[in-house]
Amino acid sequence: MQVEIITPDKKLFEGEAKSLTVPGSEGSLGILNNHAPMIASLKQGKVKVSTASETKNFEIKGGVIEVLKNKVVVLAE
Amino acid sequence: MPNLKEVRNRITSVGSTMQITSAMKMVSAAKLKRAQDAITQMRPYANKLTSILQNLSSSLDTSENKYARATEGNHVLLIVISSNRGLAGGFNANVIKKTWGLIKNEYNNSPNVSVLCIGKKADDAFKRTEHRIHGTDLPHQLNDLLDKLNFDNVAPIAEKIMQAFVTKQFHKVYLVYNQFKNAAVQVPVVEPFLPVDASKAATQGSPADYIFEPNKEYIVNELIPKSLKVQFYKALLDSVAAEHGARMTAMHKATDNAKDMLRTLKISYNKARQAAITNEILEIVGGAEALNN
Repeated sequence: MQVEIITPDKKLFEGEAKSLTVPGSEGSLGILNNHAPMIASLKQGKVKVSTASETKNFEIKGGVIEVLKNKVVVLAE
Repeated sequence: MPNLKEVRNRITSVGSTMQITSAMKMVSAAKLKRAQDAITQMRPYANKLTSILQNLSSSLDTSENKYARATEGNHVLLIVISSNRGLAGGFNANVIKKTWGLIKNEYNNSPNVSVLCIGKKADDAFKRTEHRIHGTDLPHQLNDLLDKLNFDNVAPIAEKIMQAFVTKQFHKVYLVYNQFKNAAVQVPVVEPFLPVDASKAATQGSPADYIFEPNKEYIVNELIPKSLKVQFYKALLDSVAAEHGARMTAMHKATDNAKDMLRTLKISYNKARQAAITNEILEIVGGAEALNN
């Protein structure tokens, strides 16, 4: 699935990923390929992206995530 | 006929002024590029946020949100965005004029209008007037904000302004700033900031059946303040880009004018020099003539 992590200042990450873990406001959310469409709000915590070769971590202060047709957009702060 | 030495001095001084203005133009061009990049960087975030928000509010009434609720009262806050430095053509004058026009025509010089200045130039224009913001927990001016402009610095200020609206210290908040059209054109605009206009959000139904986590209302309440912060940040970025654009154009014109001036000065210098030589020859010939007789 295609993952994008953007903040108002810059784009933190863009690319193919196998899985994604985000700090949802009511508990951690894991997202894999072919997830159903979803909009969720995020709280402070760590966003973990696993690509084919490596795992990346990003600290966020809050935000929102949209999942639609294997395209994931994380709006982080 | 101008004196040779005088003209030479003027040529040197115009030349060095031209060097300064053309250097300032280069600096502004570089800074404009950076400011434009910042706007481009923010655009995907802003667009996505708006589309999610529209998506949500088309199926949900947001007019009762604490940021959307219109409140009774006539305390108005104008947030005026100018620059800390001058030499940018009409950039600061335009935005200050726009603000005064608004205070006079819309509000009849009412003392209930407060002005919060971002940038030293607007602050200088308003600090000795009764409109300067007072009696609130907001700062009097925010001149430092422009020097280190990023979202992390801007967000707390936007939060404070939103808080002042929620606690009913102000009933309406407007942004007055120069909108960036292109490098040569800046348009001073007045943009409503609070209360949020909920009606503009009505669009076509959602394209997909989303799962909402935890629920729609919660997400909307989270997103509205976020989009306000983004709107505020965007106005600041726009104003900064417009400032550099205005300065670049002003300095370009100044360089051109200096070039013209230099040309006419060179001509009059050459004329004066030729006149001095002719004079000298005449004197020598006259002297020789006198000796021969």
